[in-house]
Amino acid sequence: MFTKILIANRGEIAVRVIKACREMGIRSVAVYSDVDRASLHVRMADEAVPIGPPPAAESYLHMEKIVQAARRTGAEAIHPGYGFLAENAAFARVCAEAGLVFVGPTAPALELVGDKVRARQTMEKAGIPIIPGMKTLPRSIDEFEGAARELGYPVIVKASAGGGGKGMRVVEEEKDLRPSLEAGMREAKSAFGDETVYLEKYIEEPRHVEVQVLSDTHGRTVHLYERECSIQRRHQKIVEESPSTALDPTLRAKMGETARRAMEAAGYTNAGTVEFLLDKNRRFYFLEVNARLQVEHPVTELVTGVDLVRQQILVAAGERLDIGQEDIRQRGHAIECRIYAEDPKRNFLPSPGKIRVLREPGGPGIRLDSGIYEGWDVPIYYDPILAKLVVWDENRERACRRMAAALSETVILGIQTPLAFLRDIVTHEAFLAGLTDTSFLKTHFENWGERPTDEDGLRLALAAAAFAETRAAARPDLGRDGRVSGEAATPWTSLGRWRIGGA
Amino acid sequence: MEFEYLVDGAVQKVAIEVKEGIVLVREGEKTMRAEIVSVSDAEIFLSVDGVGRRIFMARDGGRWLVFHGGGEYVLEEPRKAESTSFRGEDGGKEGGLVKAPMPGKVIKVLVAEGEAVRKNQTLLIVEAMKMENEIKAGRECVVRKVHVAAGDLVDAARPLVELE
Repeated sequence: MFTKILIANRGEIAVRVIKACREMGIRSVAVYSDVDRASLHVRMADEAVPIGPPPAAESYLHMEKIVQAARRTGAEAIHPGYGFLAENAAFARVCAEAGLVFVGPTAPALELVGDKVRARQTMEKAGIPIIPGMKTLPRSIDEFEGAARELGYPVIVKASAGGGGKGMRVVEEEKDLRPSLEAGMREAKSAFGDETVYLEKYIEEPRHVEVQVLSDTHGRTVHLYERECSIQRRHQKIVEESPSTALDPTLRAKMGETARRAMEAAGYTNAGTVEFLLDKNRRFYFLEVNARLQVEHPVTELVTGVDLVRQQILVAAGERLDIGQEDIRQRGHAIECRIYAEDPKRNFLPSPGKIRVLREPGGPGIRLDSGIYEGWDVPIYYDPILAKLVVWDENRERACRRMAAALSETVILGIQTPLAFLRDIVTHEAFLAGLTDTSFLKTHFENWGERPTDEDGLRLALAAAAFAETRAAARPDLGRDGRVSGEAATPWTSLGRWRIGGA
Repeated sequence: MEFEYLVDGAVQKVAIEVKEGIVLVREGEKTMRAEIVSVSDAEIFLSVDGVGRRIFMARDGGRWLVFHGGGEYVLEEPRKAESTSFRGEDGGKEGGLVKAPMPGKVIKVLVAEGEAVRKNQTLLIVEAMKMENEIKAGRECVVRKVHVAAGDLVDAARPLVELE
C-alpha cells in the first residue's frame, strides 16, 4: 500500500480524497495555485505544494509541475479527482514514466473510451446497444446528409472528442443540417482542438441513467447499480439519485450487467461509469464512459455502503477487489444536490466572492462533501461547484423530505447559490412523482424565481439590520459589521457585548 | 432610531427602540415586539410572540444580507444603492454605464470608443468560473468610453463601457 498520495485537484473532491487517505493511514499532499493558498483542501492535507498561477493551464493542468511536486514530497501515487487531468491519457503516461501510480484506468483504456467513435465501435462489437448513428467518420457533407436520412430526423451533431454539451446541435430537418454541422465543427475545434463531428439519432426527452463500475487488475469487474442524473441545466447535472424510479429489477439487472460487460470490453480498470440514455419505451443505449470518479459518486456510496475512493486506491495499489457482485446491494434511497456558486434567478450566472456566513446541515443520513468555509473567497478561475449535499433514507419519499429539510438548514450568505431552487425541485410534485427526464427543468422551472416573501419576513429583516447597526454604534470597538475589528473576539469581548439591559 | 434601506429598488423605513433586551420595531402603522434571546456575530435569535426567529446576517460592502425563514433579503443603504442596483446584463438600456454583472476576467473587448453599436450587439465578454458571459448593448447607441481591456480582472458592478 502507498504511504503518501498526491491529490492533483482542488475543492470538495480534493477534500474527499484527503479524508479517504487519512482513514487509510496514507499521508496526503495537496497542490494549489496562488489563488488557492487558503483553500480548504490545502488546510486539510498533511502537506501542500504551490504549483503556479491561478489559470488552470499554468497550475492544475500543468503535468510537469504536478509530477515534480509528487517527486519532491515522495508521493508514490497521484489521485486526479474529476475534471482537470482525470481523463487525460497523456498524464497517465507521464505518471507511469516518472514511476508514479495514476489512480485511475490505464492510458490505453483512457484513450479508447475517450474517443467517442472508437468507443462506440468497441461497444457495438461487444454487443452493447448503442444509439443508432454513424459508424465511420464521413468525409463529405453528402455523406452526412445520407446518414441523417437513414437515421431519420431528429438527429444530433456531436463532437468526437467532446463532452459537456460542446459542439452538440439537435437538427430537426434537413435544411438545418449543414449550418448545424458547421457550427458544431467550429465549436468542437475551439473546445477540443479537433473539429471531427458525427451524427446520432436524437432521443427525445430521455432519462440519463448511469451505472457505476469497479474493476481490479486481476480480472474482476463488478457494478454498483445505477444513478439517475436526468435533472440538468446547461447539460450539467444538478440533482442525482439512486435508485432510478424508471427501472424495475429486471431492467436494473440488465443495465448493470451490460455496463460490466462494456467495461470488460474496454479493458477498463479502477472506478468508472457507463452512461446510458433511457428512452420513453424503456430501451437503453450506451452513451459514453466516464473514466474517473464522478461528482455524484456519494449517491452510490450511500446506497451500497461501498467507499469508492478507498476502492480506487486499493485497486491502484494492485490489490484484489474484496467484494463480489453478489455482495453488492442497493439499500434505501439517496439523493444528491449540487451546490454551485451561481444565481438560478439570473440564468445560472456564476457568483464568485466572499462567503460571509456558512451554516452546514447535519443529522442522520445527511452528508455534506464541501470545499468551502466561512470567510473564504470563492475564486473566479475554476468550476463553480462548492459542495454536494447528499442524503439517505429508507425510501424515496423520505429521502426527498430529508433533502428539503437539510437544504433549509443550510445557509450561505455573500454569494448566490441554488439552495432555494434545489429545495423547490425536491418538493415539486413532478419530482416527487419520479417524473424526471432531461427536459424537467425546462418544463417546470423555466422562469423560476424565489417565492415572494411575506411582509412580516421583510419587517424582521429590516429590524435585524437596524438592530445590528445600533449595536455597532453603541460599541466603537466593533466594526460596522458588528464584528470586533482586528483579531478574533475573545470570550471576554463576546460576553461584554451583550449587556443590552443597560443601554 | 430610524433606518432606511433599499429592498428590491423600493425604500423601506424602519424605526427601532432597544430596551432591556426587547426590540420594538415600528414600520409604518405596524409595530412588532421582539425579545432578544441571543446574539452572535452572524446570528440573532429573537422571540416574537413566543415564536423563535433565527436570523443570519452579514454586512457586505454597503448592504446587509439577511436570511431567515428560508428567504434571503438584501438591504442596501439608499445612498450607495444607486451604484449597485444597475445590472450589466441589462447593459445600456438607459444608456450610460455598462457594468460587470459578476466578478470575472475580461477576455475580449469587441467595440472601440466612438463606434456605433446595434441593439443586442455584444460589447465585450467577461469570463468567470469557466463560463463566458456576453455583455450586450440594450439599444442602438455610440460607445463613448471603454474602461477595461482584455485580461483585466473586474469586480461586480465595475464600469466596463460608457454608452451614449
